[in-house]
Amino acid sequence: MDYTIRVATLEDCKDIYRMIMELAKHEKVSDQVKIAQRDLEQDGFSKNPFFQSIIAEVPEQHRSKDGHSKVGYALYFFAYSSWKGRSVYMEDLYVMPEYRGKGIGKALMSKIAQLGLAAGCNQLNFAVLNWNKESMDFYLSQGCWDVTTGLDYHCMRCEGPALEALARGDPKN
Amino acid sequence: MDFMIRAATPEDCKDISRMIMELAVYENMPDQVKISHEVLEQDGFCKNPFFHCLVAEVAEQYRTTEGYTVIGYALFFYTYSTWKGRSVYMEDLYVMPEFRGEFPGKGVGTALMSKVAQVCKEQQCVRLQFSVLNWNTPSLDFYKAKGAQDLTDSEGWHVLRFDGEALDKLAQMAPKN
Repeated sequence: MDYTIRVATLEDCKDIYRMIMELAKHEKVSDQVKIAQRDLEQDGFSKNPFFQSIIAEVPEQHRSKDGHSKVGYALYFFAYSSWKGRSVYMEDLYVMPEYRGKGIGKALMSKIAQLGLAAGCNQLNFAVLNWNKESMDFYLSQGCWDVTTGLDYHCMRCEGPALEALARGDPKN
Repeated sequence: MDFMIRAATPEDCKDISRMIMELAVYENMPDQVKISHEVLEQDGFCKNPFFHCLVAEVAEQYRTTEGYTVIGYALFFYTYSTWKGRSVYMEDLYVMPEFRGEFPGKGVGTALMSKVAQVCKEQQCVRLQFSVLNWNTPSLDFYKAKGAQDLTDSEGWHVLRFDGEALDKLAQMAPKN
């Protein structure tokens, strides 16, 4: 099946949002998505965007039964390692279920690697849940390595009340 | 002891570079530092900077034996969650050993992290994320006392990486269109 990979435009936000919701619905956590389509438009296509995105598109004759020709996306942003310099972080990689198994996911990931290298990056990082064996096996077979297992780094997060308290500089911290 | 937290300038890159190396030594990986202060100047102070940095500075009378007054830093950048929106990733948080621990929770490290959290609020970021080596007990205690969750332990998140030849190979597979 023919497909093209291209940089997303503002007009693609509708489809990107649709696919974000598809993935959340599939994982039975639709209520976890707190952003709206207009947030994607503002945060991805303003003067200092928070992310970049690429789209996988199929020709008209292969569009889905709902009429969609945009069938996959990847969302990424530039990051930094104080040891190695510029890097790229892949936040999302998604292909609609009926379009999987055709190399589209791999093509999206490759495009990010290519764009990252062109921007002077020397790492492509992303996160996977360690119980998601299928994804883990796939990515490791592509040549990446597990930084968490290899170097003992744990991912940490402050959000909600903890983040508020930190910003206030509460004495009890 | 008086200290101030301020945004880093290009002139601070030599001190930041010095402290990056000190942190790498502490993490037992000094041979992993590949970038120089010139690279920091280029990447942190260009038109679309790859990172932002805060430094902690003490008054002249508290300078170290080598004469340093810039004694801590926090390096961070903006990220994005497709579920929650704008976020910040704190790549480094470091305070020189002799300036730590006098007032747990009120010292230089807390002030630096607090300032990063304030930046989060100003830019409407809803999350502050970072990494910690799981044998680094003092740091884990520091962060957990501030309400940080360990996502690797609680949810099983692992970071995977493509670099070197594997990254080149991946890029070569990209469609030519």
